[in-house]
Amino acid sequence: MSIVPKEAIEVIAQSIGITNLSPEVALALAPDVEYRVREIMQEAIKCMRHSRRTSLTADDVDSALKLRNVEPIYGFTSGDPLRFKRAAGHKDLFYIDDKDVEFKDVFEAPLAKAPLDTSVNTHWLAIEGVQPAIPENALVEVPSDGKKSEYTEVLIDLKLPVKHVLSGELRLYFKHITELTVNKPGSVLFKEALVSLATDSGLHPLVPYFIYFIADEVTRNLNDFPLLFALMRVVRSLLRNPHIHIDPYLHQLMPSVITCLVAKRLGNRSSDNHWELRNFTANIVASICKRFGHAYYNLQPRVTRTLLHAFLDPTKALPQHYGAIQGLAALGPSVVRLLILPNLEPYLQLLAPEMILEKQKNEMKRHEAWRVYGALLCAAGQCIYDRVKMFPGLLSPPTRAIWKTNAKVVPTMPKKRKASTDNLMHQPSLKKVATDGKMGAIPMNSMQIDTQGTTGGYSTAAGGSGVGLSSMSRQLPTENMPGREVGGRVVKTSTALSQAWKEDMDAGQMLASLFVLFGESVFAFTPKPELSFFL
Amino acid sequence: MEEDQLEKFVVAYLKKKGFKQAEHAFQEELQQHQSKNNSSSSISTNSITDPDFAKHLLSFSEFESVVARYQDGYSKLRSWTYSSLDLYKHELLRVLYPVFIHCFMDLVVKGHIQGARTFFNSFREDHEMMHSRDLQKLEGVLSPSHLEEMEFAHSLRHSKVKIKICQYTYELLLQYLHKTQLTIMLGIINEHINFQVSPGQPISISDDTEVVTLIGSSQDEATQINQKEIQWGLLEDSLEERLEKSGVLLSDSEKAEGETKEGELDENKKRSVEGGKQGTSTKKLKKDKAASAMGKTGRPEANAVITAPRVKPELALPVISTEVEKSILEDLRNRVQLSSVSLPSVNFYTFINTHNGLNCSSISHDGSLVAGGFSDSSLKVWDMAKLGQEAVGSVLQGENDTTSSEYVLGSNGGKRSYTLFQGHSGPVYSATFSPLGDFLLSSSADSTVRLWSTTMNANLVCYKGHNYPVWDVQFSPLGHYFASASHDRTARIWSMDRIQPLRIMAGHLSDVDCVQWHVNCNYIATGSSDKTVRLWDVQSGECVRIFIGHRSMVLSLAMSSDGRYMASGDEDGAIMMWDLSSGRCVTPLMGHTSCVWSLAFSCEGSLLASGSADCTVKLWDVTASTKVPKTEENKSGNTNRLRSLRTLPTKSSPVYALRFSRRNLLFAAGVLSKSV
Repeated sequence: MSIVPKEAIEVIAQSIGITNLSPEVALALAPDVEYRVREIMQEAIKCMRHSRRTSLTADDVDSALKLRNVEPIYGFTSGDPLRFKRAAGHKDLFYIDDKDVEFKDVFEAPLAKAPLDTSVNTHWLAIEGVQPAIPENALVEVPSDGKKSEYTEVLIDLKLPVKHVLSGELRLYFKHITELTVNKPGSVLFKEALVSLATDSGLHPLVPYFIYFIADEVTRNLNDFPLLFALMRVVRSLLRNPHIHIDPYLHQLMPSVITCLVAKRLGNRSSDNHWELRNFTANIVASICKRFGHAYYNLQPRVTRTLLHAFLDPTKALPQHYGAIQGLAALGPSVVRLLILPNLEPYLQLLAPEMILEKQKNEMKRHEAWRVYGALLCAAGQCIYDRVKMFPGLLSPPTRAIWKTNAKVVPTMPKKRKASTDNLMHQPSLKKVATDGKMGAIPMNSMQIDTQGTTGGYSTAAGGSGVGLSSMSRQLPTENMPGREVGGRVVKTSTALSQAWKEDMDAGQMLASLFVLFGESVFAFTPKPELSFFL
Repeated sequence: MEEDQLEKFVVAYLKKKGFKQAEHAFQEELQQHQSKNNSSSSISTNSITDPDFAKHLLSFSEFESVVARYQDGYSKLRSWTYSSLDLYKHELLRVLYPVFIHCFMDLVVKGHIQGARTFFNSFREDHEMMHSRDLQKLEGVLSPSHLEEMEFAHSLRHSKVKIKICQYTYELLLQYLHKTQLTIMLGIINEHINFQVSPGQPISISDDTEVVTLIGSSQDEATQINQKEIQWGLLEDSLEERLEKSGVLLSDSEKAEGETKEGELDENKKRSVEGGKQGTSTKKLKKDKAASAMGKTGRPEANAVITAPRVKPELALPVISTEVEKSILEDLRNRVQLSSVSLPSVNFYTFINTHNGLNCSSISHDGSLVAGGFSDSSLKVWDMAKLGQEAVGSVLQGENDTTSSEYVLGSNGGKRSYTLFQGHSGPVYSATFSPLGDFLLSSSADSTVRLWSTTMNANLVCYKGHNYPVWDVQFSPLGHYFASASHDRTARIWSMDRIQPLRIMAGHLSDVDCVQWHVNCNYIATGSSDKTVRLWDVQSGECVRIFIGHRSMVLSLAMSSDGRYMASGDEDGAIMMWDLSSGRCVTPLMGHTSCVWSLAFSCEGSLLASGSADCTVKLWDVTASTKVPKTEENKSGNTNRLRSLRTLPTKSSPVYALRFSRRNLLFAAGVLSKSV
């Protein structure tokens, strides 16, 4: 019934010379022996705990026996825990391997090495809560040692699946696509390839290779305009493919895309229409931000920061500014409002001299300045359009009287606005056509014609807005009597402006100040946003 | 019912109960009666008996079936409990454990050792998870005399278990017991369980902690003790306070804190007026008024951030010299503010080549001295300042040497890198440095405590008083006084200048394993193998708090610097945070898998560090731990993870000691053990 059987008691009794032990005595002793053994073990465990150990040693049992005033059992003490061996053939029987030692061997054996003396080493387990990697100093005891090896193991494990094998088809596909991109970006075949990239479902294994290819080509071929354009098209197609998870590679992709947006030079010939590339890339950036902005909350801030740096750095070339503006504009009106509008006035002051024929003799530079100006205009216009769309909600109760009349104005506005934004949107392309045509046809030494071309481009735009303006101003006096005074004044100035515009290149300066005026008063005066729209 | 049968029952009953004389008398009388009966042949009137009575008698007669009835009764109750409604199940389950152990002990008392064993083994698995240690102890009980001898069993038999239970559960249980006539179970329940019946809904499972441990002393006593008032505030006029008052702190946040503290002084003043315990001089009162006027502006803050009130020391405290004071103030000024976001730097001292002989380690307050107590009775002290120099020197010498640490050892040659203190005649179980690092105390299995001077490198005093190994010794936060804990179940308070103890704290039911001073020096806490932690008033020697909740031996204690909380770590790796004033467990901190050897609060009390045999140092967020109400955190188990801020694994080095320096640098010490 107890763990100690009475036979064991009998055996022990015999071993100490008691031969006539009655069975009752043995039976009575057995449970008591068990109880005493347990008692001693309990004390031994206490001693073990106070020796800050988690494995019981013979020493602990000795101390426990001492506590009970019992003679300790000598001969089992060792510095290390005892090593038990399982008796062959028995499941629960263990013994200590006690070898016979020959005296001769002991005598002849060389002196054992003196055990090393105890010492203390010190190291940083953590610095401000972070465990440092292995310090190269003299410390033996570095906790990260063990961890480090674990980590490397883990890394090795992780690396194995990365060594996947691309199927032959995929390799062939990749080869073809890359060759097409590099060699025949204009071909019909390339267009087919783009469609395939945008729709094929089995392309995911190739994504890292494409990303690498794009990054590589962009960095090497900044002066090869067609290639860059083709690469951006590939990017767009990849982004469009619903079967590809491009998220993990975004950080590798973004630099190439941003490069194509704000690089100083894209393409080496003047005929390369890098403006278009920048527009295209801006839309890609915007779509990336829209799609992955939720999952990677710092994506858009980082992009805008990069772009804003490019925009606000006066040492950067104008095409770079153009790219930055386009990029920011593509990100949405609120970005424009927060980042571009506050910097508009100083920037325009900077830009103005570049646009003037007298001050900037280099026709190319002037053209660039006008481009930038157009981009700004477009961005601001979009922003204002957005503002005005929200306009009914912004209106405060005291201006209800105005509101009433304006209510009629408002519904009519969107169309008109749309028309004029369309106008504005068209403007760059129109102008582009004009300039391109001119540049393409006539060598660039003809300053006269070129100037006319640019001014012409703007005059059409201004004319368009002028028409819009006049129609609006016609509407305003009739329908909005209280607002007329203000409106009228502004109308006057604007009409004057549009006049001046045609004649004077300096109009930008005035326009900027006007815009700033409008920008500030957008909340206070209802009709003004509409007017600002003409910008 | 035949009269003969009845007589047989009576005889059997008397036999069973061992009433031999009565039995004799009864039989003699019976024979006389029979002879009379034969003559008169009249049948006695008491032949009419109700069957119930007979059944009862029958049950007494069934000498051999006692075990079976216990087993049967318990298994019935058990199966009924397990099949009961979920809503009431957990309450009924609580009843099972006491019934189980008392059934077992009853069987042992009645001498059915074999039956008790089988009973025990057939049902022990049910309780293995919650009460494995108790079961291990009880397992060894094999005769009635063991029950008497074993303190745990003895106390169990002589005290009642208190179980909180809702009205409906209680009725369910009684109904069942009556209906099924499980009289033995009913008897045990009546005898050993004290039900606290509460109306309404069953108590949620989370409040289970009180029932977890069946302690020896009655729970009533514990609650009564826990109602005593304690002054857990910090010492007034301490250096920290002076520092705050002087306003030398440049940091604004600290200034604000100082103000709120002063605001709190006002409250303290009120308390002192009410209690009359802390006689406050008029001068002090004036000062307080000024402070309260100042503090009024920051009143809402003061309410939000409840800082510690101040109390007067009950002991005559040692005077600190101005130079020392200056250096401490300097340390306080340079203290790094720690929080859950700014974690401390941890410096780890690793003992190597200890050959399994290191029993304890201690680090001085500035971390410059490290002491190790060894099982070969020696005490060794390393001066880290010197060690550092040597190490630097050796690095300069042998830069190419990759294993230059061994080089250090070699270069030392015969000279030891430590100071050896010899004097004890048994394993050294604990060591503690005085606050200034000039004295070192060590306690040993030879039942003595020795005082060593680290400046003179000599033994100064040997304190004899304990009768058994002294497990732990701790200097008071201000030095001069120290407390010791021993296998003789007492903790004692000593002062350095007397060889006799000043106070003896007796009350624990088993070894006192660890001891820790409260920051205001008016209390000490002791952790024991009886799984409780007690708080003692140093002045009166009375036990003022009993903290019940640990499931195994308490190994380490730490007091928060604001004096409000205490942490205790046990053998299983559980850490409990206690509120001293209420005596309740604020929160259990689970995470360690093995013994928690050491605990330390950071100086401003926002972090708790724990060092364990599982080779990790864990950092816990005290503020989060103490704010979360008990009920809430138990419901959502994952909050535990949030409170554990960081786990710092060491390289197979169990952590023996932890110490936050006054500047909030954490020092840890452990031994490199290959086997772990």
